[in-house]
Amino acid sequence: MNILSDINFAFRTLIKNPKFTALTIFVMTTGLTLCIYMFSFIHGSLVAPLPFENGERIRAVDTIYNGMQYQGTSFRVHDFEDIKKRVQSYEVFDAYDQGTVNLSTTDRAVKYTGHYVKESFFEISEAKPQLGRLLTNDDGLSGAEPVTLISHTLWQNMFAGDKDILGKKLRINTEPTTIVGVMPDSYQFPSAGRIWLPYTTTAKGIARKDGDYVAVYGVLKPGISDEQANAELRSLMAELEESYPKLNSNTSAHVWTLQSAAMGSGTPTIILAMELAVGFILLLACINVGNLLFSRAIEKGKETAIRTALGAPRSRLIMQMMWESTLICTISGVLAVLFAGLWLEVANKDLLSSFPFDPPFWWNIQITQSSIIAAIVITLVTALITGILPALKATSGDFNATLRDGTRGAQSKASGRLSKMIVISEVVLSCALLLLSTGMVYSVNQQNNIDYGTTIEDIFTARVGLPEAEYKSDEKRLQYYQNLKATLLAEPEISAVSLTRTIPGNGASYQNILLEGVDYGKKPQYPSSSSVGVDHNYFSVMTINLREGRLFDSRDKIGSPLTAVVTDKFVNKFFKDGVALGKRFKFIETDNDWYTVIGVVNDVIHGQPMSFNIEKPTAFISIQQTPKRFMSVVIKTVASDAQNVPNLAKIVADSIQKVERDAPAYDIKTLRNSIIGRNAGMNFVSELFLVFAAASMVLAFSGIYGVMSNTIIQKTQEIGIRRALGADNSDIYKYFIKQGLKQLVIGLAIGVPMGVALVTMLEESSIAQGSLMLYFSVPAFISFIILLAVYYPVSRALKMEPCEALRHE
Amino acid sequence: MKTLIKLANLKKVFSTDEVETHALSDINLEIKQGEYLSIAGPSGCGKSTLLSILGLLDTSSEGCYTLNGHDVVDINAKQRAAIRNKEIGFVFQSFNLISELTVAENVALPLTYRKDLSKTERTELVTAALEKVDMGHRTKHYPSQLSGGQQQRVAVARAIAGNPSIILADEPTGNLDSKNAELVMALLDKLHAEGATICMVTHDPRGAKRAERIIEIFDGRIVSDSPTSETHIEEAVA
Ligand SMILES: Nc1ncnc2c1ncn2[C@@H]1O[C@H](COP(=O)(O)OP(=O)(O)OP(=O)(O)O)[C@@H](O)[C@H]1O
Ligand SMILES: [Mg+2]
Repeated sequence: MNILSDINFAFRTLIKNPKFTALTIFVMTTGLTLCIYMFSFIHGSLVAPLPFENGERIRAVDTIYNGMQYQGTSFRVHDFEDIKKRVQSYEVFDAYDQGTVNLSTTDRAVKYTGHYVKESFFEISEAKPQLGRLLTNDDGLSGAEPVTLISHTLWQNMFAGDKDILGKKLRINTEPTTIVGVMPDSYQFPSAGRIWLPYTTTAKGIARKDGDYVAVYGVLKPGISDEQANAELRSLMAELEESYPKLNSNTSAHVWTLQSAAMGSGTPTIILAMELAVGFILLLACINVGNLLFSRAIEKGKETAIRTALGAPRSRLIMQMMWESTLICTISGVLAVLFAGLWLEVANKDLLSSFPFDPPFWWNIQITQSSIIAAIVITLVTALITGILPALKATSGDFNATLRDGTRGAQSKASGRLSKMIVISEVVLSCALLLLSTGMVYSVNQQNNIDYGTTIEDIFTARVGLPEAEYKSDEKRLQYYQNLKATLLAEPEISAVSLTRTIPGNGASYQNILLEGVDYGKKPQYPSSSSVGVDHNYFSVMTINLREGRLFDSRDKIGSPLTAVVTDKFVNKFFKDGVALGKRFKFIETDNDWYTVIGVVNDVIHGQPMSFNIEKPTAFISIQQTPKRFMSVVIKTVASDAQNVPNLAKIVADSIQKVERDAPAYDIKTLRNSIIGRNAGMNFVSELFLVFAAASMVLAFSGIYGVMSNTIIQKTQEIGIRRALGADNSDIYKYFIKQGLKQLVIGLAIGVPMGVALVTMLEESSIAQGSLMLYFSVPAFISFIILLAVYYPVSRALKMEPCEALRHE
Repeated sequence: MKTLIKLANLKKVFSTDEVETHALSDINLEIKQGEYLSIAGPSGCGKSTLLSILGLLDTSSEGCYTLNGHDVVDINAKQRAAIRNKEIGFVFQSFNLISELTVAENVALPLTYRKDLSKTERTELVTAALEKVDMGHRTKHYPSQLSGGQQQRVAVARAIAGNPSIILADEPTGNLDSKNAELVMALLDKLHAEGATICMVTHDPRGAKRAERIIEIFDGRIVSDSPTSETHIEEAVA
């Protein structure tokens, strides 16, 4: 029963040293909690396969345009159909469409995103209707009776859960449509849906340039890797680019999991950064605990030597020491699972409610079976690492020397070398991590405080979409705009109203353009620009400043030559001579008419404020010339902060509904909130990294402090000797600071380039941003912490009279 | 001869939470330049405490202490360190060499705390000191590679390297066998013959006999102070 008595012995040792035990458990718990939290988060949101039979092989197929990954309805239906004919890598290769639909019953109208789907869509997602039937491919044939499938929520909200719902009619985009089924709320493929309609999008009879865009999904054949599928897609897309150089210039495609697609293109980098950060922290924790155990083993060196002399086998001694680390890590592991679970619960509520969209249905961010397994594995590995190295090291010395050696020579030298290594690695890790996380926080902070080029604070926005059937003509749309503005302005709280296709911070349509007089050659690589349709008073309502030329006015109307107001970036990018006014360009895909530049305004950011969006040029065009059905209303309130007006959302919603019953407002919120919502993910990530950085700092400080005070305790006698020989306090400080400095410099020499490399890597996906200020202040901060960690224990040792220090054992 | 050290009404009290230990009471003592003094007395009587105070390793609780004519009671830590460095050489029972430093580096250590010595001057002093203790052939060794007697001789070299006014030795032979103890004692004799002032605590009667003057302490008080020739050492130390 050696093991039991060894465990018992280890347990007693831990209880006898409550301070030591508490410190090691604290350090280990910190590391493990972050690790388990991160694992559960990544696993629950990204790695775990979709909960379907073929979940591991389901992929989203998306386009890459100008190097940017697009997602959702990103394929021109012509391209999709051409590719579908030829792809080999898939069992299923299909598309669905997505569109905003107006629903109305006799008494209400609402607006939802509808999915236009094929049978295969339901098959791969294993859909089972709660009532009625699913949609079939036949439902999509022309001439078929219009049918729809609604969600449980919709059924409850609009029909009060009417038992006889099947066969009832619903006006969808003004067309009476028969309800054939109800879907359970648990069905959320690929995101929470409210309403499903038959897929009818087609390339047949439609010019390629007018082609609709669809979302493509596939189920890979077993054994086909993502690389193979991507290679095939790339070559097919390259052929299309050759065949349609104008429409398909710079366009390619790729496959990725729905999980990755939902998280966005920067995700793998963020995940990698998170894993690195957590890895660093765990490593720091292991080093600290390992060091604490080691210095304890050194303290007990004499005891170990005596035991060896009495004939204890080395393996037994190692086992005894191992149990200690195993106990510490196990207790920490259990605590960590608890803390991580608690944290996940709190963070999830916070995170999910701050997201501008419903979280994907496969998210299962909590402590699951796999996180428990991971926790056990990680705990055992850390126990092994933190236990075995110190035990091996502590029992490897020449025990005879230890017994004889009055000056603690052999072992203190070994532990001295190790301490130096530890300090160096703590500096490296904490420096890299701190640079990484401050780089991210800095970038997010910059994004949150960025100047979008417009007013943000006093603007309120809502989105409206006109039903297609009734608003086919430009005149009707223009009339609607007129009515809408007049109705809203009649409200006493509202001081100004304008319209835009895209509010700042939201992604704008980004299109290839062709500048007049430029020869793009045989294989054209067209430049791109955002295009944003706006009403004429948009610039004044949003405080966008005119640089030169003029803004839109009554001359810019239907039938008159098309005009555009462009941003500074547009001028800098496309007109080398700086002269923009009077120049002409056209959007290749959508229009054949030339737009003439009539004015230049300051830059406005559309899309998340990441460098690739900030760099985009924008051309504003007039919605009075090209009226569209979907647009955002921007409203300026009488109060200086739109948030302070009570009931504004309701006032706006009611007014808009008054103008057109079939065009209810949605996404009603302040512009500030719309922007915050878009940045929620990054805010969350940067907050996480702040936690990492703080944890790394605490661990690095406590670790280095621990090492230093240990070294200094071991060297108390030496300090006494040096002082007896005439060293004064400053000599002693200098001596230890010089020692610490050496390790600090080595650590920074490795850690700073490492951190800078990490930040640079993340800079490419606009997740982090470095600055000289950070690159100087982070090392300075770490140096300060290290000096503190050296200074404090030395000053404590110096409080002793030298004779006391000499007597110190 | 010039008076090097003068203690008057010196007291040392160690106060802990529960007990007050009067380690030294009413110590009056003069040490002249070139004297070889030995301190004896039973265990716990205050010998080491006295030596620590003499060496400015500890402060007295009360009383006067003049060294080389200067009052050293009310001086700051930096000045104390400077005096330890220039005026005092220590030899400890447990050698107290620094294990990471070589023999030469150990001996050079006190000299590195002086601002007025060049590197070559330092090397010369170190070589001279090591020659004096007959350890010139072991300069690159580490303490753990030396015998106890050799270590103590290096410690003596370190104590004399900076030409201090006085050498304080606390049981310098306590950790040595009789042969090595004899060697170290002979070394101190030789230093004394060359003019060094030595104050040594020892339990070893034969060692004590080598001094010119012996002081006996009992319970923190000096109970006798006489030239060696007049004392029955065996009796005094028993
Ligand atoms: N730091 C201290 N705190 C409290 N009491 C102390 C302290 N240092 C010494 N003492 C006490 O002072 C008295 C004198 O101690 P000292 O070490 O000077 O004795 P010693 O004569 O050198 O004895 P030995 O011959 O055993 O070395 C002892 O009673 C000791 O317990
Ligand atoms: Mg003593």
